[in-house]
Order: sequence, then structure tokens, then C-alpha cells
Amino acid sequence: MAIRDDFEVVASQVRTVVQRFALGLLVIVTFGVMLVGKADTVLVEHARVLALDMVSPVLEAIARPVAYANRAIADLREFASLREENARLREENARLLAWQTAARRLENENVGLRSLARFREGPEASFITARLVGDSVSAYMRGALLNVGRRVGVAAGQAVVTGEGLAGRIAEVGENSSRVLFVTDVNSRLPVLVERTRERAILAGDNSPRLRLTLLPSIAGVQTGDRIITSGHGGSFPVGIPVGEVVEATDGSVRVRPFTDFSRLEFVRVVDYGVTGLAGTGMPAPVAAPPGVRVR
Amino acid sequence: MRADSTLAILDRWGRAALPGTVLLFFVLLTLAPLRAPYLSDALPLLPILVVFQFSLATPERLPGPLLVLMGILLDLLLGGPGAPVGISALGFILVRAAVIGNRRYLVGVPFLFQWIGFCILCWGYVALVWAFTTLWMWTAIDPVPAMLQYIVVIVIYPLLAPLLARVRARDPLNVPELSRGSARPGETST
Repeated sequence: MAIRDDFEVVASQVRTVVQRFALGLLVIVTFGVMLVGKADTVLVEHARVLALDMVSPVLEAIARPVAYANRAIADLREFASLREENARLREENARLLAWQTAARRLENENVGLRSLARFREGPEASFITARLVGDSVSAYMRGALLNVGRRVGVAAGQAVVTGEGLAGRIAEVGENSSRVLFVTDVNSRLPVLVERTRERAILAGDNSPRLRLTLLPSIAGVQTGDRIITSGHGGSFPVGIPVGEVVEATDGSVRVRPFTDFSRLEFVRVVDYGVTGLAGTGMPAPVAAPPGVRVR
Repeated sequence: MRADSTLAILDRWGRAALPGTVLLFFVLLTLAPLRAPYLSDALPLLPILVVFQFSLATPERLPGPLLVLMGILLDLLLGGPGAPVGISALGFILVRAAVIGNRRYLVGVPFLFQWIGFCILCWGYVALVWAFTTLWMWTAIDPVPAMLQYIVVIVIYPLLAPLLARVRARDPLNVPELSRGSARPGETST
């Protein structure tokens, strides 16, 4: 009996101690986790990918109804301006048809000139279409989660594009999921060209909706309205994907508005350009499998 | 000790698991592409709201280690390259500790004061995460998005908190032993 009492006394003392220092212990644990994350980035990468793969089916289940609701709201909003929209589109269509004729003529001419000059085209790009299943947008990060991964050939460093232009690049890849880092993220640095002057520069994000053009040889040559395209330096991106247009060119800084509307992204295409700039893993050509659908 | 029926056991398990499950759901919801146009790009910090509200209502069902796990999961899922993993966990347990430490005052007061308490604690959380991330990544991070997130979440609080507060324990005094925090029986205010 006495032993049992003693035991209970000790147990309650231990419990009191643990309760008293529980907060301190937990704080130490979180700091430990942070330090481990700082020291062993590979481990954290693996943990991230594992977590992504685990939650992406759940997120997809959440994302679908949300996407429907968003689309319904957008539809309602568009009904109001249907007539003007129609007129505008008809006008634009006429203009684009003229462009199409010009493009066809130029393409024919290009093909002819290329065969004359024996010009070797770069690697053919193929696309993997993906659905955005999650936002990876916080106060410190601009990105998204995609429902395609290594299994359909997504690799880190590949370009992610929309119909309007470049959205970002693949930062992390899981088996069936991947994370895009948008061009607006503070960690994004993109080699670009000013389309009109062919000047090289680096396009840097800073988590705001506007991008910053840095390392430009001469700021004087840039005007408001200039289109910015990818330069293809670094190897993983195709040349000439439109990124944005210059909206502000003062002496100190050049600001670029991205063409992609990040607030209503739903589907994106991952450009598989054959070569990835980041450490060629020598991956065999993957076979197309749902949900990633290879085009072309 | 009476023998519990299956239903009672299920009920108890369900009650025990509810706060954790709700927190997990809100952690995942933070990633769902629900976009409030024109408001902010980032989703409000709903997990911190859940942590606050459940620490107030039933802290014994939302233990510290669970919060650490949830915080790490949130950081893993949200964080970009270089962002510290575990900072949300630290924020969560500090908020929980602060709520439990002041539980005796927070439980009894009118809703408005709970809201003010949340505003203060959430401010601390946002400031902590922002300062830590900035130091950790050693880049100047624009604090405006974090501030917008903060404002959105404190505006949402009155809408969501009464709903979450309904999970309170069914106890005569509504304060189970473990929920009293640091208070000892007979102890007056420190």
C-alpha cells in the first residue's frame, strides 16, 4: 500500500513537472524542427513532397466544388456585360483573323528559309495539362499546388504557362503532385528579354502583383508598354514565352505587370522542354497517363 | 464505472477527436483555392482562429503536441523554399499557452472582450511569424499582405467563433479539471 502511495506521489510529481515545463519543451521542439529544416534542406524537401502527395487528393476534392462555385459567380458577373463583350470579341476576332493570315504567310516563309539555311530547331516542347488543386499563397509565398507529378513527367525547373503567358516554374515534385512557384514570388528570378530592344535582364518577384526588372544594361531603352519575354537562358525554359508588360519605367526601377491573372487560375500547362536546367535526372520519356494529359 | 455502450464510446471518441479534426480541416482549407477577389491574395489565418477558440473552449482536447504537428503540417504545405518549418507550430503553442494562462478571465467575459483578446493574440502571432520569417530568410518581406491577412481574420472571427464555441465540454461547471489551466482549486488571482 505504501509503495503504491509512493508511486502515486512520484507520478503526480512527474506529471506536475511535465505540465510545468510542457510549454518550454514544446517550444524547444519547434525550434529543433526549425533548425533541422535549416540544416537539412533535403529532408525538409522530402517531408514537403510527402505532405503534398498525402493531401493533394483531399485538396482536389475540396477544389472541385470551389472551382464550380467560382465559375458560377464569374458566369453571373459576365451575363451582365454579355452584349458589350460580344461586340468586343467580334471586333477582336476580325483583327485576329488578319493576324492569322499574316502568321500563316510568315510561317510558310520561315519554313522555306529554314530549309534553305539548314537551321536546327531547339528541342520540341510538349505540354502537361494540370489542374490547380491548392493555393500555396500566404503572406510570404506565391505559388500553387498542381495535381500532376513525377509520374507524368513533371520535373523541377519546368516552366508553367497559361494561355496568357508564363505563370511560374515547378519548385517541388511529388509522385502525383507538384508545387509551382509563381513569377511574383520573392524567390523567383527569371532570365528575360525586352522584346523590342532584345536586351537581357532578370525579372524578379517581390510577392507584390508587380514584378521588378533588374540587371538591365540600360534602363533608358525601356518604355512603358514593352513586352517582356523569356530569354531561354538557363536552358529549362523555351524562348519567347510572354511574361508581362512594362507598366512603369522611371529612372530607378522598371515595373512589369504579369500577363497571367493569378487570381483566377484553374488550369495550367507544364512545359516539358526536354532538357531541364536543374541537374538532368535522365528520366525516361514518361507515358501519358491521367490526370496529366499530354498535348502534341 | 459503468459499462459503456458502443454508442457512448463512439460519442466520447468523436468528442475527443473533433477539435483536432476541425483544425486539420482548416489547415487544409488554407490551401484550397478559395479566392476572395479584391480582398487579398492570401487566405485568412483560419487555423489560428480555431486554435484560439478551442484553447478557450476545450484545451484538453487540443493538446500541445497535436498543435505542433498541425503547425508543422501547415508550414510544410504552405511554405516556399527557405521558409522556416515549425514557425506556425511555435505560434500555435504560444497562443494556446497565452489563452490557457488567461482562461479564467477570458471564459467569463462577454464576447466582445474575447474578440479583443483574439485581436491581441493574433497580432502577436502575425508579428512573430513575420519577424521570424524575415530574419530566417534574411530578406525584407513586405508586411502589408500579413497585415491584410490579420485584418481579414479578425473580421471573420465573430462569424466563425460562436460556431466553434459550441464544442464546449458538457460539464456542470463547464470547466473540466484539465481545462482550468494553471488555476489551482482555491487559488485566487496571481
